Amino acid sequence: MTQPKNLLIRLALAWPRLVTWLMLVSTAVLVALATVPSLWPAAFPALNPLVVDTDPENMLAADEPVRVFHNRMKAEFALNDIVVLGIVNEDHPDGVFNPDSLGRIYELTRFAATLQWPDPEAPEKTMGVVTVDMIAPSMVDSIEQRGLGAVSFDWLMPRPPRTRQEALAVRDRAQRLPMLDGTLLSEDGKALSLYLPLTHKHLSYRVREALLDRVSSWEGTGDVLHITGLPVAEDIFGVEMFIQMAISAPAAMAVIFLLMWIFFRNLRLIVSPMIIAMVCSMSTMALLVATGNTIHIMSSMIPIFIMPIAVLDAVHILSEFFDRYRDTGDRRATIVAVMDELYKPMLFTSLTTSVGFASLALTPIPPVQVFGVFVTVGVMLAWFWTITFVPAFIMFIPEAKLAGFGRQQANGEGKGDWLSRALSGIGRFSHGRPRFVLLAVLALAMLSAFGISRIVINDNPIKWFEEDHPIRVADKVLNDHFAGTYMAFLALTPGMEIDSAADYRSQFERRLSARESGLEGVTEVFAQLRAEAVAIDAATRAEFLDLLGQRVAARLDAAPDDLYQAWDEADLFVDSERQRSELFKQPEVLRYMEGLQEALGAMEVVGKSNALTDVVKTVHRELLLGADDEFRIPDTSEAVAQTLLTYQNSHRPYDLWHFVTPDYRKATIWVQLTSGDNVDMSAVVDAVDAYVADNPPPMGLEHRWYGLTYINVVWQQKMVSGMGKALLGSFVIVLAMMVFLFRSLWWGVLSMVPLTVSVGLIYGVVGLIGKDYDMPVAVLSSLSLGLAVDYAIHFLARSRAAFEAHGTWPAALESVFGEPARAIGRNAIVLGVGFLPLLLAPLIPYYTVGVLIAAILATAGLATLVILPAAITLLESRLFNTKGVPHASAEDRP
Amino acid sequence: MRALKIGLSFLAALALSPAANAGDTMDATDIVHRANYMSYYQGRDGRAQVTMTITDSQGRERTRKMTILRRDDSESDALDGAAYLGGQKFYVYFHRPADVSKMVFMVWKHLQRDDDRWLYLPALDLVKRIAASDKRTSFIGSDFFYEDVSGRLPEDDEHELIETSETFYRLRHTPKDPASVEFAWFETFIHKKTFLPIQAVYFDGAGNKLRTITATRVDTVQGHPTVTAATAVNHSTGSRTNMEYSSVAYDIGLPDDIFSERYLRRAPKKYLR
Repeated sequence: MTQPKNLLIRLALAWPRLVTWLMLVSTAVLVALATVPSLWPAAFPALNPLVVDTDPENMLAADEPVRVFHNRMKAEFALNDIVVLGIVNEDHPDGVFNPDSLGRIYELTRFAATLQWPDPEAPEKTMGVVTVDMIAPSMVDSIEQRGLGAVSFDWLMPRPPRTRQEALAVRDRAQRLPMLDGTLLSEDGKALSLYLPLTHKHLSYRVREALLDRVSSWEGTGDVLHITGLPVAEDIFGVEMFIQMAISAPAAMAVIFLLMWIFFRNLRLIVSPMIIAMVCSMSTMALLVATGNTIHIMSSMIPIFIMPIAVLDAVHILSEFFDRYRDTGDRRATIVAVMDELYKPMLFTSLTTSVGFASLALTPIPPVQVFGVFVTVGVMLAWFWTITFVPAFIMFIPEAKLAGFGRQQANGEGKGDWLSRALSGIGRFSHGRPRFVLLAVLALAMLSAFGISRIVINDNPIKWFEEDHPIRVADKVLNDHFAGTYMAFLALTPGMEIDSAADYRSQFERRLSARESGLEGVTEVFAQLRAEAVAIDAATRAEFLDLLGQRVAARLDAAPDDLYQAWDEADLFVDSERQRSELFKQPEVLRYMEGLQEALGAMEVVGKSNALTDVVKTVHRELLLGADDEFRIPDTSEAVAQTLLTYQNSHRPYDLWHFVTPDYRKATIWVQLTSGDNVDMSAVVDAVDAYVADNPPPMGLEHRWYGLTYINVVWQQKMVSGMGKALLGSFVIVLAMMVFLFRSLWWGVLSMVPLTVSVGLIYGVVGLIGKDYDMPVAVLSSLSLGLAVDYAIHFLARSRAAFEAHGTWPAALESVFGEPARAIGRNAIVLGVGFLPLLLAPLIPYYTVGVLIAAILATAGLATLVILPAAITLLESRLFNTKGVPHASAEDRP
Repeated sequence: MRALKIGLSFLAALALSPAANAGDTMDATDIVHRANYMSYYQGRDGRAQVTMTITDSQGRERTRKMTILRRDDSESDALDGAAYLGGQKFYVYFHRPADVSKMVFMVWKHLQRDDDRWLYLPALDLVKRIAASDKRTSFIGSDFFYEDVSGRLPEDDEHELIETSETFYRLRHTPKDPASVEFAWFETFIHKKTFLPIQAVYFDGAGNKLRTITATRVDTVQGHPTVTAATAVNHSTGSRTNMEYSSVAYDIGLPDDIFSERYLRRAPKKYLR
C-alpha cells in the first residue's frame, strides 16, 4: 500500500475515527469553555464570559495618552457623552415654535428626565440620563432684561406656552443667548434640540428606544424626532453588528456550500470542508472569548474571514481528487497522491495567509491586533484539520458512493467545462502575447499609482450606516438645521510656569507700594506685611503667598480695632495676589479665547463654539441693560469675577464648571462641528495650531484637543501608519518565505507580482472613485496580501513541477492550465463569492470588506493566471536555468 | 448621616436650653410656624460672619466670606396669629475672595409679592436690580437656594406631621403650586425642644433625594438657640456647601436705612465686623 510522505496524513489515513473524534472533542471543549461562563457567570468566576465591546474608543489602548487626557478632562469638566434629540416640524410655518409642538417637547423633556435605571454594578446608584445637565427649553435659564432695569434668571420655558406669541417668545429669548442659539434652537429658528448627557454612552441605545417609543404618538402632528450623536451611532452599531453576524456568517456558509456542490456534485464529499469551516470558526471564537478578549467590531468579523479561508485548502484537495479519481478508482491511492502533491503548497499558502493576518499584530490598535492574531489561529487550525480530517473523511466514504465522481474526460484539458475552456484560453493568450500583457500591467500599475496618490484618508462612525438609516438621516437633518451635532473639545491649560518666589518678590513689592492708601494705619501695617514677606522662605510664588496669607490672617484676627481695616486691606491684597493665578478671570486670557473662537467660527465645518467667554459676555450685556455693545469681555478680572458670581445666582450655577475648572486654571472650548469626518476634524486641528502659532497665547497657555470626534482622528492616524508597517512587514516576510520555498530569488519575486498588482489596482480604484480610506479599507491591505499570494504559490509550484515533468515551458504551461489552473479558478470563485454575503450587510464597514476582499481575490486570481505565464515566458531562460531547477534543458518529450 | 450625628450631639447639650417645650399636642402648622420663627425671625435684627465652603463631587473647594445683616419689619415676636411673620431685609456683604470683595447683595423679602433684590458690582460700579420671581435659584453658586437663606413661607405648602419621636417632629411638606418648585415634597426633622429644623430633605416625583440640608452645629447666642453650621448637599451633582456662622449677634440695633440702594455703594462698615 502506498503511504503518504507526511506523517500526519499517514496517521489520519490509519486512524480516521480518532482524527474525527479528536476534532469534535477539542471543539466541544473550547465551545464549552466560552459558553458555560457566559450562561452561568456566577458558577464559574474563574472563566471568562462573553463580553461585547462596540466602543470605537477602544480602538486605542486604555493607557493611550489621548484617552487618558480625554478621560481626565471629561472628569475635570464633568462632561458626559451626549445623545442629541432634534425635533423639526416642516409643516408648521413657525417650525416647532408653536404651542402644540412645544407642549409635546415639554412632555418629552419630562419623560427623558426619568430615564434612569438602577446600576447593576452599584445598586445604590442609578444610571441613565444625567438630569441636572440636560439641555432643554424647560431646563435651562434665560438671562434677560425684566421690567425696569432688572436682570432676570428664569427658566427659558417654565411651562408649555399657550399662545403663538408665547411660543415665539421662547424662540426669541433663546436666540439672544449665544450658548443656546444654534445649540438648543436651530439657526433658522424652526427646530429644537435637546441634549441628554448619559452616565455612560452604552446606555444610548436603551435611551433612544425609550424615546422613539414615547414619540410614536407624534404621528401626524408634523413633529419629527431625530436622534443622533456619536454615542448613539456607536451603540446602535453594536446592536446591529450582532444582527449582521447572525445573517452574514450563515449566508457565507450557504453560498460556499452551493458553489462547492456546483463544482463537485457530491454532497457527501463537500460536507467535509463545511465541517472544517464550522469547527475552525467556532473554535477560534470560543478561544477568543475564553482568553478574555472582547467581541469588538473587528473581532466580530473573524468567522466571516475564517469560513472561506478554511474551505480553501479543502477545495484544492477536492479539486485535485475530483480530477484524478477517475484515473485510479481507488480513493486511498488518489488521496495519497493528492496529498503528496499538495502538502507543501498548502502549508506555505496557509503560512503566508497567517503572516498576512499576523502582521496586523504590528498595528498599535488592540482590536485589530486581536483580529489578526485570532484569524491566524483559525487559519492554522483550518490547515491542520484539512490535512488530517479531509483524508480521514474520504476514507469513511465507501468506494461505491464515489462511483461516477470526478471529471468525465480525463486529460481532456481545454475541451471540457466552461471553466476549463476559459482557463486554457487565458493561458494561450498570455503565453502568446507576453509583452502586451506586461505593457498592460505596467499601464495598470501607473493608473494605480495615480489613484493611490489621490486616496483620501477619512472615516466617520456615523457613516458606518447606510444613507437611509435613521442615524444617517438624523445626522443630515440636524446638521443642516443646527450648528453641528459633533462635539470636539479644546482644552486650554497653563503651561509649565517657572514661577519662583524670588522672581515674584519684586512684583509683590511694586504692587504693594501702589496699593498704599490713606487708610488709617496702612503704612504701618504694610511695613509689617513687608517684614512678614521677607521672613518667608518659599520656593514658588504659590507657596510664598500661601504662607504669607496664613500669617496675615492671624494678624487680622488679632488686630486691634484701629488697625483692623488696615490689616483687612493687607489680607485683601495678599488674596488678590493669589488670585492672579486664576487665569481664566484675566481679561487678556478671555480675549485670547474669544479670538481663537472667532478663528474657529470662520471655518465652514465649525457651526459654533461655546466657552466661558460667551457666559461672561452675555451676563455682562444683560447687566448693562442688554445693550449689544456691552456684549464683551469686561476690562478687569474683578469685573469678570463679579459677572460670573452674578451668573451663579441662576438655577444652574454648575454649568460654569463645564467650561472652566473652579480654580480658573483650566478652560475648555466646546466646538460644534457639522461633520464628524476625520478630514474635517483634522482641518480644524490644523487651523487651531496655525492660529496659535501666529498668535502666541498669553501666560504660556497650552492647547490640546479631546472628545470622541478627536479621538477618532487619533486612532485613524495610528491605524494608517500601523497598517503601513503591517503591510511592509508582511510583504517582506512573505517574500522571504517565497524565496525560501522556491529556493530562488527570481521565483520568489515573481510570486509577489500578481498580488502586488492586485492590491495596488484595488487601492488605485479606491482612490479614483473617491472612496474614503477608512478603517475596513486599511485593515484589508495587509491581510489580502497573505491571501492573494496563495494563487501564485500554487501556480508557480505546479509550473516548476510541470516543467520538470514535461521539459519545456509551453508543454508545462499546457498542463498547468489543466487541473492546477482549475483549482486556482475554483478557489478564487469560492473565496470571492464566499465573501459576497457581506454585501447584504446594512453596515458599511462589512459591506466594504465584502466588496474589497472579493475584488482583491478575484483580481489576484486573474492576475496570477494572466501575468505569471507571460512573465515566465519572457524570463524563461533565466528562471529555468537558475540552479536548483534541474534538467532545465530542451529535452522535449514526445 | 455623619452631619446629622454631629447635629444630634449638639442637640443633646441643648436639652437644657430655655426654649419652650410645647408638648406633643401641637399640630403641623404650629410646628412649622415655630420652626420658621426659630430659623429666621429670632431677635429684631441680627448679624453673622459667614464662611461658605463649596466642595464639588471631585473635592474641589471654593471659599467665600461674607457678612449677613438681617432686619425684621414686624416688631412682634408673637407666634399667636403668626404676628412674628412679616417682611425682612437682608444685606449680604462679600469680603473674600478678593475679586468680589465689596460686592453686596440685598433682599427685601415680602410676604404678599415678589421680593426685591439688588446686586452691587463694584468693579462695574453698578447697582443692579435682580428679578426674583423664582426663589429656588442658587444662592451665589452654592447648594443653598435663596429660599433656604431667606425662608420659605409656611403658607406655600401643605404640612403633615408624619412622626413624633423622643426628640423630633418629622413633617412632610407638599407644595401647593408644584410647578413653581423643583421638588415634589420635602421632609423636615424639627427638634422638639428648640424647634430648630435639624434636617430638611427634598424629593423628586420618583422619590429620589434631590437635596439634604442639615444643621451640623447649634449654639445658644444671647439666649437664642442658633444654627451656627449647616450643610447643603445636592444629590444630583454631588456638590456640598458648608456654611459656618461666627460672631453671631442679635438685636444690634441695625437702622432701617442701611438696607437701601444708597448703602450698597457705601457699605455700613461698622455693622459689618
